[in-house]
Amino acid sequence: MTTAADHIDPAVRAEALASLLIERGLVDEAVMDNFIKTYEQSVGPMNGAKVVARAWTDPEYRGRLLADGTAAIAELGFKGPQGEHIVVLENTPDTHHVVVCTLCSCYPWPVLGLPPSWYKDPSYRSRIVREPRAVLAEFGLELGEDVAIRVFDSSSEVRYMVLPQRPAGTEGLSEEELAALVTRDAMVGVAEVAAP
Amino acid sequence: MGGRQGFGHVLPLTAAPPFAEPWEGKAFALALLSIRAAGVLAPAFRYALERVPPGDYLASYYHRWLIASQIMLADSGVLSAEQVAARAARMTGADQAEPEAPELHKPQMPSGGPGNLRTVDTPPAFAVGDRVRTADLHARGHTRLPGYVRRRTGTVTAIRPAAIFPDSAALFEGENPQHCYAVEFDSRELWGAGAEPFRLSIDLYEPYLERVT
Amino acid sequence: MSDPRGHADAAYLLDTSGPAAPPRDNGELVFGAPWESKAFGLALALTDAGLIDWEDFRQALIGEIGAWEAAHPTGAGWSYYDCWLRSLERVANAKGLVETGAVAARAAQLAALPPGHDHDGHGHDTHDGHAHPS
Repeated sequence: MTTAADHIDPAVRAEALASLLIERGLVDEAVMDNFIKTYEQSVGPMNGAKVVARAWTDPEYRGRLLADGTAAIAELGFKGPQGEHIVVLENTPDTHHVVVCTLCSCYPWPVLGLPPSWYKDPSYRSRIVREPRAVLAEFGLELGEDVAIRVFDSSSEVRYMVLPQRPAGTEGLSEEELAALVTRDAMVGVAEVAAP
Repeated sequence: MGGRQGFGHVLPLTAAPPFAEPWEGKAFALALLSIRAAGVLAPAFRYALERVPPGDYLASYYHRWLIASQIMLADSGVLSAEQVAARAARMTGADQAEPEAPELHKPQMPSGGPGNLRTVDTPPAFAVGDRVRTADLHARGHTRLPGYVRRRTGTVTAIRPAAIFPDSAALFEGENPQHCYAVEFDSRELWGAGAEPFRLSIDLYEPYLERVT
Repeated sequence: MSDPRGHADAAYLLDTSGPAAPPRDNGELVFGAPWESKAFGLALALTDAGLIDWEDFRQALIGEIGAWEAAHPTGAGWSYYDCWLRSLERVANAKGLVETGAVAARAAQLAALPPGHDHDGHGHDTHDGHAHPS
């Protein structure tokens, strides 16, 4: 049932809700602003890139990461909301992983920050679980016929992150240089990491 | 998210929110404190609010908060409505005896653990490798089982952490934690013989699954 | 900052540096407009204060998204944070934090203000004592 209230401009609605809650002391404006700033600036895919680079260069860390993603990620200092249980999915030459949340937008915030618009879009959420190969091709990722695809729908408390394959020709790079190559899209599974 | 313990920030009670009357500020603070005193979680407060009896004198929503706090505390046997009424009468000068406190029976909920993750006393019903079939929950209207995997057969590939079962968390019945499993489906099972070949993994709670022999 | 459909003003998006540039992460905007970041910050602040339960919010969001998708089979006009904000308002109302109709009433007040006002969170009933730029 639509009412007049349904046609409020969202910017005005946000302002209305915020002002009511702040006036009533239910929201501390400084706390609200701090959350915004944190997720705009401090938490983002640069975190996950460090995890990937560490896994590529330290086989024991990689083992821990695959056995208990949450703990290994916390070793690098990354934890918090939406990261209470993270499972890391390792791409191999014969298996490629890609992650979605068909119901809403669940995403591993501590390592990737907030999800991009396309991840939350109805077309990605509905198509990736039905025709992943075609969707990945639209993202520019053409996988060989011999590569199996596994799609993971984040429907519970678990959040998923993909450990992409290390590109060839990067043997001499430092961990920091490797991290700079890793993109958010590769950690969601809609891209691979390119060699420099 | 459920990161109730993960955040660690509490609204300072010394802040001066612009309540119309000082008692409203107390009602607000008491609601938050009553949740802890009653040994429950925030969803129980919502449930208590829903049980506040309607009536003209309860038009003010902070008054409803006070009643809800009393309901939660009574549910846990921390104090009774009769005690509150007697104390109020005494404070206005009436010579009224206060009744005994009720018997304490706070719910036995674990206080630790991150977010909504919990431990379950009974062992998981399914093991890795089990073939399972998903229920059709249309009638119950629950949405943690997406439509595209209803009434399909797949294989358990991992045990996930047990967690609060969302649709029972609001009721004062405990959190009803359930085991959770990663279940893998072949794409052809979901979309028919002509589908792109791939595997789909989704995390499903135990009540959604039944064993396939 | 937003056009009548609630989408971010394109001119706002074009600044890529300088004080007017919106925050970006990994080469793209984290939030498309300030109201989106406000909706996000409100949800986290309320959860942090224990006033709403994140799972309740998530379920409301799932419901809101599902209802929107059912009503828009082609997906045209999708606004994630619009769904987010409606869900947040629903949960805040269910928790007794805002009464039914309060947000709409406040929105009407705000929308009636002349342009150039910035009442970010202060919600005055009158404008006495304000200095307005002419």
